[in-house]
Amino acid sequence: MDNWVIAMMLGASLFLGAIALFAFMWAVRNGQFDDEEKFLNSVQFDNVEDLNDAVDLEKKKEELKKKNYRPE
Amino acid sequence: MSKKIACDHCHLEFTKDVMIVDGKHYFCCNGCQGVFHLLSDEGLDSFYDKTANTKLSPPIEQYEESSNFNAPAFYDKFVEVNEDDFNEVSLIIEGIHCSACVWLNEKALHKMDGVIEASINFTNNKAHVVWVDSVVKLSQIIDMIRAIGYNAYPYDASLQEVHANKVRKEYYLRMAVAIFATMNVMWIAVAQYAGFFSGMERDMKTILNIAEGILATPVLFYSGWIFFRGSYYGMKNRVVNMDLLVATGASLTYVYSIYITVMQHGEAYFDSVSMIITFVLIGKFLEVLSKKNAADTLDIIGKHLPSEVNILENEKIIVKKLEDVGVGDIIIVSSGEKVLLDGIILKGFGSFDESSLTGESEPIFKHIADKVISGTTSIDADIQFKATKDFAHSTLSNIVSLLESAINKKPKIEQLANRLSEHFSTVILLLSFATFFVWWLWPHSFEESLMVSISVIVIACPCALGLATPVATLVGLTIGSKKGILFKEAAQLETIAQADILLVDKTGTLTIGKPEVYKEHNLCSYEKNILYSLVKRSNHPIAKGIEQFLLREGTSFDEVLFEEYTQLPARGIKASHEGKNFLGGNIELLNENGIEVKIESEKSLFFFAIDAKLLVYFELEDSIKEGGPELVKALSKRGINVVMLTGDNVKSAQGVANSVGIKELHHSLSPEDKLNFVKNLQEKGKKVVMVGDGVNDILALGTADIGIVMGSGSDISVEVSDVVLLNDSLDSLLSAFKIADTTFKLIKQNFAISLLYNAITIPLAMAGYVIPLIAALSMSFSSLLVVGNSMRIKYKWNRS
Repeated sequence: MDNWVIAMMLGASLFLGAIALFAFMWAVRNGQFDDEEKFLNSVQFDNVEDLNDAVDLEKKKEELKKKNYRPE
Repeated sequence: MSKKIACDHCHLEFTKDVMIVDGKHYFCCNGCQGVFHLLSDEGLDSFYDKTANTKLSPPIEQYEESSNFNAPAFYDKFVEVNEDDFNEVSLIIEGIHCSACVWLNEKALHKMDGVIEASINFTNNKAHVVWVDSVVKLSQIIDMIRAIGYNAYPYDASLQEVHANKVRKEYYLRMAVAIFATMNVMWIAVAQYAGFFSGMERDMKTILNIAEGILATPVLFYSGWIFFRGSYYGMKNRVVNMDLLVATGASLTYVYSIYITVMQHGEAYFDSVSMIITFVLIGKFLEVLSKKNAADTLDIIGKHLPSEVNILENEKIIVKKLEDVGVGDIIIVSSGEKVLLDGIILKGFGSFDESSLTGESEPIFKHIADKVISGTTSIDADIQFKATKDFAHSTLSNIVSLLESAINKKPKIEQLANRLSEHFSTVILLLSFATFFVWWLWPHSFEESLMVSISVIVIACPCALGLATPVATLVGLTIGSKKGILFKEAAQLETIAQADILLVDKTGTLTIGKPEVYKEHNLCSYEKNILYSLVKRSNHPIAKGIEQFLLREGTSFDEVLFEEYTQLPARGIKASHEGKNFLGGNIELLNENGIEVKIESEKSLFFFAIDAKLLVYFELEDSIKEGGPELVKALSKRGINVVMLTGDNVKSAQGVANSVGIKELHHSLSPEDKLNFVKNLQEKGKKVVMVGDGVNDILALGTADIGIVMGSGSDISVEVSDVVLLNDSLDSLLSAFKIADTTFKLIKQNFAISLLYNAITIPLAMAGYVIPLIAALSMSFSSLLVVGNSMRIKYKWNRS
């Protein structure tokens, strides 16, 4: 019984961790960490308009993703 | 959303607004755009007719038919035929990740019939291949490179940049997986260790083992892929490298641990598997990072040159591509422009800066029928000249190709880590086999003997060894960058530490490069106004020195407008105003104008006379930078011989050498002389460091084991050098040596630490006393020690 609890806990936490890992890998592949300067300075330009632009960009990227191809 | 259109290269469809628009063409990505342009430039766009609307895979994975490389168009653009009728090409080799790869490629190419020479530059993965075209074709060469697991293409700067980013990203991803999994494995391992001492149910142990196994799997097969790849190429060229040791160690341990988990007895070592891979991967990543700054030198030179020139044809100015200019074309050069072709002046006159070729800092005056040389710059001349050679045979292209071969033939100094790891890996693998047989013959079960022999590999796995060099050099690079010293590659630190000889340029390196007035000798009173106006219009460094001197006195001047004003090359200035004649220049100018002067000085002299009467003269001197004598003294103490190489004459060179304390000096050298000097020393087995600043030093800077350049130096010399001193000071030159020494010492200490650890733990492992806890502890502890030891130096430097 105890063993089952531990196994489940392990499984659940590893699963959650893996989700975070995959999110991170997705972000790296997506080029979100490509430019350190941009990455750090983008906080300054964090207004509504830019957020919308970012969302649009994201949509475009999604569409490209659906095509199953995005050149690095 | 707008409607979808197809990329002109790969034919995949995207919405219009995400595409790159280039004329009437649309591309989905730079890769496609690049390939498309390349193909159409080369007249190979019929390729697209053949593919029709077939959707291509992106260019990253696309290996075009290699016979394309044999097309005349490709040969025209990339292949050169040298004077022996051999073909030469520059290729970028993709997929090179260790020095063994370079070796493998060179070897494979050398083995081919018809290939005469193949040298690969490790820094930029650029290969220079010479072959006989009747025996072997370029396509076969490229096929060979592909066959051995790399890809090759004629080079292009932007492609290289893309490639470097790709490699870094790959490492990021592999490290992210490795670190994530290892951190979690460690948590679980803590439970395992506790259980080892206090007892744990078998079932519980199996659950923990399974969890660890799940985590270790991606580490081994995804993150560790780099090591499998590395050892595969190592095996192919019969080199036992560190990759092989890591890969065998980790995978044997992994298989064994699975066996343990299934059989439900004994101890699993999944934590060791993931730790080994993670630590060594981090080391490799640091190496990749420190290579980031290495610039793509040769393309940079190309970038500094305009690709077009103005041609006068039928009384009209037209723009022609540099390569298309033929012998006899008339080229227009305005003041401030670069001369890109060799020729003879037809119209106009003016002075030229030839310092890039001769090292001579004084401008040279040229008029009709004089020769102009490519690579020089017009200071104030507006001329038309007739080309006597096409660009491919010009002096400038000559220098560029000299430079190219200089950089490719740069001596490779094998890093301590590579030398050491090869032996280390072989020894460990042998020890492990020996252990296995001894245990097996000394009657133990097969299983037990296998376990012990695996534990030998696991415990020996060079986490600390893999981290020893990268961490130490990273610390060195950080200290350097804080002091304004940029090392372009980590390995250079090791090379500098082993240097035998330091060659220094004079002007701009030891001296500031601008003559300053040392003493003013007043013979009569004179109008400073006129002298100021006289020197102000000249660009000559001596005139500038006088101008600075006059301005420093603080008075303001009203400029006099001379009716007549001429600058005489290598003489000075002659001018007249309101019926008076003024002379400003050196002793020859005065003597030629009938003024007898008998004044001599070691320093440069500037005389000023009105109407044949000498009024005043100045002694000027290029002042020496601070820290010169200290530098020479400190380096001689280290056993480094300091030698001065200069294009200047013996008189001015000797003065500087004496005041700095340099005993050996070579003067009146052309850029090629400097190059040969470096080569001679290298043939004698010396490790040469060259310091310079100007374009006239680039050949020597590129050839020397280490080229150090002053930050104020010309762009090209900054690009070809390995180390940049941002603040131009001689102090930072000395610091560069100190940092290199410290770092090298650190590397050696780190090796000592990790080897010591192995010396203690390997016998334990061979005797069969190693439990997972000891394996993990020794690995972490030795790695921590290596990192800690490296950090220690950082604090020491920060304090001083």
